[in-house]
Amino acid sequence: MQIPIITKGFSKIYTEGQFTVNAVSDVDLQLDEGEVVGLFGPSGSGKTTLLSMLGCILRPSGGSFELYGNNVVFQDDRKLTELRKKYISFIFQGFNLFPALTAFENVMLVLKLKGIEGNPAEQRAIELLSAVGLQDRIHFLPRDLSGGQKQRVAIARALAADAPLILADEPTGNLDFVNGRKVMEVLNDLAKKQNRCVIVATHDNRIEDVFDRIIYMEDGRVIREKRREG
Amino acid sequence: MFYVALRIILYDKVRSLITLLGVVFAVGLIFAQMGIFLGLMETSSVIVDHTPGDIWVTSKNSKNFDFSQPFPEYIYHQVTAEDGIQSAEKLIVAWGIIRQKEGGTEQVEIVGYNPDTGIGGPWDMVEGDPSLVKNGNFAIVDESAMKRLGDIQIGEYRDVLWHRLQIVGISRGVKSFTTAPIIFTSFNLAQSLVTYMGSDSTVFVVAKVSPGHSVPEVIKSLQKKLKGVDVYDKGSFSRKTRLYWTMETGVGFSFMLTILISFLIGMLIVGQTIYNSTMEHIKEFGTLKALGASNYEIYKIIFSQAMINALSGYLVSLLITIMSAKIYEAFGMVMVIKGWVNLLVLALTFIMCLSAAFISIRKVKRIDPAILFRG
Repeated sequence: MQIPIITKGFSKIYTEGQFTVNAVSDVDLQLDEGEVVGLFGPSGSGKTTLLSMLGCILRPSGGSFELYGNNVVFQDDRKLTELRKKYISFIFQGFNLFPALTAFENVMLVLKLKGIEGNPAEQRAIELLSAVGLQDRIHFLPRDLSGGQKQRVAIARALAADAPLILADEPTGNLDFVNGRKVMEVLNDLAKKQNRCVIVATHDNRIEDVFDRIIYMEDGRVIREKRREG
Repeated sequence: MFYVALRIILYDKVRSLITLLGVVFAVGLIFAQMGIFLGLMETSSVIVDHTPGDIWVTSKNSKNFDFSQPFPEYIYHQVTAEDGIQSAEKLIVAWGIIRQKEGGTEQVEIVGYNPDTGIGGPWDMVEGDPSLVKNGNFAIVDESAMKRLGDIQIGEYRDVLWHRLQIVGISRGVKSFTTAPIIFTSFNLAQSLVTYMGSDSTVFVVAKVSPGHSVPEVIKSLQKKLKGVDVYDKGSFSRKTRLYWTMETGVGFSFMLTILISFLIGMLIVGQTIYNSTMEHIKEFGTLKALGASNYEIYKIIFSQAMINALSGYLVSLLITIMSAKIYEAFGMVMVIKGWVNLLVLALTFIMCLSAAFISIRKVKRIDPAILFRG
């Protein structure tokens, strides 16, 4: 069994003119398979920056980072793209679905990127959309779906990538409580049934109970961690 | 990725329509400019191109077909005596004046040829025959001249250079770059009409090379022997004439400038709309990158959009151009629509649209990951 994420002294410094901002400072993390982790903290606490670095779309300024045994720091863009393709999937607050493509086509697009095409891809897309409860909405354009439904399409798309690590940024941010709970239940199921590691950056306190572990951040630092009892 | 590009285009209907109109406008203008320009060029050398013969002998430093000077007729005999020459004909091209029916005069270009061989004469007749100009004061007028000269019927008389000529034929497709109407007569009549030439002068000698002899070799030999004249092969003289009108009059520059401006306008329109579309979908492209798509895979979507715009715009423009060719003709212009022109414009359209997509490519290459996390 490989450990999904190990970071030591992980940090990100932004420099603008004479000013430097420590967006993330000295973060040591070890996340395990099947774990659902919540990153909590106020705006500007460094949650999103940390998530971007863990997702290999933002380069850290210092520290070490191992992703499923691969040393990520100092890799070139091509290698980072390969690592993302193999290990990571994303869910964003704004869904980021192609408005011109139906729910089915949005999922198919990622399957195609993975090299899955034709009938197997179509079957898989239908399965994934059914798994998030959208079997009767597969040919709907995003504009014809509610916020919760769009987020579920985004989850189906993330699942299409078939990555063991799912990074979600405020996945319930644009949803009401009921839909937010549903989305978190889907993510929790994924972690538990498919042994994936799910990291969610959020400040939605209503869903705290879903997480196995909660990491609280402030001013770019981890200030405390809380594990679910039992 | 082509499918995604197509769906984006079909989804953004208003934007796509504006892009299509932009491409159609730019490509249509390129088609029109190239077609009219080539039409003018074909017109300028139309008689050279249609006259059978391998070699053209002209006066020294002759600039083009329409403004060549006379030279002594003995040159003709020197040409016919040359080894490798199968046959040769004299041809007169000179300027004259024709009296209009209702009074007034009009300038005309007189072409005098040998009616026995027809070389240098009209090649496409609406009425009559090229040999009818023989033995008398007879002339053939091209149908395109009627706009300037009024309706002309076979059998009627017109005064050319104060000589009464009877019209014995109407030709088709003979126009001059100078727009002056062209009148065909026999060589002998032309010689007597154009008095400044003298009775022992010609303007061109057109020669045919015997089978088994090389045209360049014969030309080389003639160039050595003949004094006071230039010797060209048919293609070279045709090109020289076309080049004269293209370069000396500024027509070529003007047309090329319009084509360049159309190209740039098209590039700006397509570039602008593809850029807007890319910016609108930047988060989706960024998401694809985050999910493991390479830059190349996203470039394919953007380039496909450009290709679809190019192809659809091109096809609509081609259709409009083909349909409007008759309108150009009605206005007395020659519009050339040829396979190689169509392919050239297609290539230009693709270059135009693909270059326009490069600004968007730069944007995709540098997507700031932070935008993905903004709700």
